[in-house]
Amino acid sequence: MGIIKKLPAYSEKVPGGGFVLTSVEAVLNQSRARSIWYMLFGTACCAIELMCTGASRYDFDRLGMIFRATPRQSDLIIVAGTITKKMAPRLRRLYDQMAEPRYVIAMGGCTINGGPFYYDSYSVEKGIDHIIPVDIYIPGCPPRPESLLEGCIHLQEKVKKEKLAEWQGE
Amino acid sequence: MTKDELRDYIVGHFEGKLTLLDTGRGEPFFEVKPADLVEIARALRDDEQLRFDFLCCISGVDTGERFEAVYSLASTINCYRVDIKVFLPYDAAEVDSVIDIWLGANWFEREVWELYGINIKNHPNLTRFLLPEDWDQGHPMRKDWDAPDFIRMPEL
Repeated sequence: MGIIKKLPAYSEKVPGGGFVLTSVEAVLNQSRARSIWYMLFGTACCAIELMCTGASRYDFDRLGMIFRATPRQSDLIIVAGTITKKMAPRLRRLYDQMAEPRYVIAMGGCTINGGPFYYDSYSVEKGIDHIIPVDIYIPGCPPRPESLLEGCIHLQEKVKKEKLAEWQGE
Repeated sequence: MTKDELRDYIVGHFEGKLTLLDTGRGEPFFEVKPADLVEIARALRDDEQLRFDFLCCISGVDTGERFEAVYSLASTINCYRVDIKVFLPYDAAEVDSVIDIWLGANWFEREVWELYGINIKNHPNLTRFLLPEDWDQGHPMRKDWDAPDFIRMPEL
């Protein structure tokens, strides 16, 4: 603990004289939570709300969220729209191509349990959690941009609480 | 020709082969026997007065008593529309391909075959089209179709 006693002496040599104590984990989580890049993945009408959220009125960018057109550069996949049984293997493939740590937001009723296609449908997957693990569910048909923004803020909270020691691949 | 004149012209020219159906709609509907389909389709396309050169779509129908295949035709030259229906009993759900007449029928016929199980004779490539590649649960648009994860709307 000798360094703590000497800190005031060190700080005087820093221009301005201030210093900050923190942990690597906190800095890392803060920066990760504020630069979540999401993949463009819109399959139905929820994608319109997603685009609206990304545009200037709701301004996704202020949460540090920027869209990427490739899974290799994405931290988050926002599944915006109906996932049919034919699309399901493609979704799984895109998810597998993302680098860890990776997150999934299920946006809208279709992705949660099939939504309006729950009954009398032969083609719609009844919930994307049959295919990939989901972090945040956002109900609505489609959810308003405010709901999506709140979902993303909840995701940020989740990212900030993560422990470095618990990081591990699947 | 007006709609009524068009209807009367078709009725007059295809006496015995095309039967006018009373649907209560504006556009005329005609019934054709499965055996006559190709012949009638070719005649409708080539008739100088009609020139039905465009097949808009083929709809499959399962009424609970029989299958129907509905051919929606349009004339891009004369701006006419007409629908012809083929009634197919469950035990003989088979119809001739009309690809020779309208090339665009290829995908429509694959779709009808896949979703309803209506067999298309003389089709060059009757393979899986819209459903997942590993689909093995039959023809899902049939009334009596069922699957383990298929949830029917409850009676309200």
